[in-house]
Amino acid sequence: MAVNYINRGSAATVQASEKTRDDEWSNLLVRVGRERDRASFEQLFSHFAPLIRGFQFSRGGQSSAPEAADELIQEVMFRVWTKAPTFNPGKASASTWVFTIMRNCRIDALRRNSRQPVTDESLSVEDIWDDSQDEQPLVFLQQSRNQSAIAQGLQSLPPEQSHVIEKAYVEGKSHSEISEELGLPLGTVKSRVRLALKKLQSTLVR
Amino acid sequence: MIHYHPDNNMLLEYASGSLSWAQSLAVSAHIHFCPQCAAQMKMLNNVGGNLLSASAPVASVEREDSAIFGDLMQRIEARENEEHEEPAVPAKAVRERTSRDPAFAAVPPVVKKLLAQNPVLKWRRLSKGLKEARLKTGQNELEVSFHRIAPGSKVAEHDHRGKEITLVLYGSFSDGEGVYSTGDFLVREPGQVHRPTATQDQECLCLSVVEAPVALTGLLGRMMNPFLSLKPQ
Repeated sequence: MAVNYINRGSAATVQASEKTRDDEWSNLLVRVGRERDRASFEQLFSHFAPLIRGFQFSRGGQSSAPEAADELIQEVMFRVWTKAPTFNPGKASASTWVFTIMRNCRIDALRRNSRQPVTDESLSVEDIWDDSQDEQPLVFLQQSRNQSAIAQGLQSLPPEQSHVIEKAYVEGKSHSEISEELGLPLGTVKSRVRLALKKLQSTLVR
Repeated sequence: MIHYHPDNNMLLEYASGSLSWAQSLAVSAHIHFCPQCAAQMKMLNNVGGNLLSASAPVASVEREDSAIFGDLMQRIEARENEEHEEPAVPAKAVRERTSRDPAFAAVPPVVKKLLAQNPVLKWRRLSKGLKEARLKTGQNELEVSFHRIAPGSKVAEHDHRGKEITLVLYGSFSDGEGVYSTGDFLVREPGQVHRPTATQDQECLCLSVVEAPVALTGLLGRMMNPFLSLKPQ
């Protein structure tokens, strides 16, 4: 009993400290946006660079070359600096915001390397993946609660569901690529994704 | 009220960046109309953010992070000096012929950008009451176009060679399966036959994205174009 009690207590502490840390990154990002503060930016860089590298390395293949990861880090953090004035902590946490920038950088890199190179007149990635179309900002507290609810939700997913979610996000694979790779019918991949999302949805504060 | 949405699978592919460019364009335009999907996107991005912050940090291999940071700050400074020296060149004014057209008045920003790149739309008549204008989007696998159906017009029954996404931008239309209004997002699988009819009192404007048959180009490709496979009435 006593052991259980202690465990529960320390889990709550860990969760609280992670949440505070995420708030801390958001505060730094706000400072970079408002004051163009380089010291804050350097702290963000030291935090996110190893995470971006870790994310990229889990992809395997060519994209896990160290130079490619370093290039991605530089590009992502360049855009973080440039776009920081538009960061709104009521809309997204710092890590979610950096994730969307990283996703856009990857899409750009894929397009540059595709057989049909991007022409000047085509739309930019930010026209299509437009974060200003986000709904009204939430109260900061609610936004931050949702963030930790999803973190917990992700941890409680059955392994076969979290596996496809990770393949989709971390490795950037489409459902049909995942189905091919795992030798599963496309319908199975789709239903695992749907079940996972349903579960995550149910954790949100309404 | 929007009744037809991209499914969760498509939204997740959009959020994680694996959905094709042209289909993402249609999803993006739908989200502009749809608070429900915008909320879902917030959650999906949140999942990505959580996975990023939970990723196992990897220390630099090739070069020290401090060296990368040094390069980055140089790039930022160079860019900021450039901005100070060169006054921004005002964007070329684009003459939008569609600017006074009520059907285009309230289209999502991403569609406005698309129009700015295609300032002169070349409409061609596909059948009685149906016009099409193809758009340049810088890619071939998917064809993006606008379709307009005149008020009350019945389009000839047709099927599609590839998966087709239709987003209603203005007005509404119906077919055997339902009524679709502004913001509705429809996915038709290849081979599904339908016969759209515009509402009596208003014309209908749609954005459509069709998987083009890859191997077929030139004259044969044009003959195989989905809307050219119209069956005589």
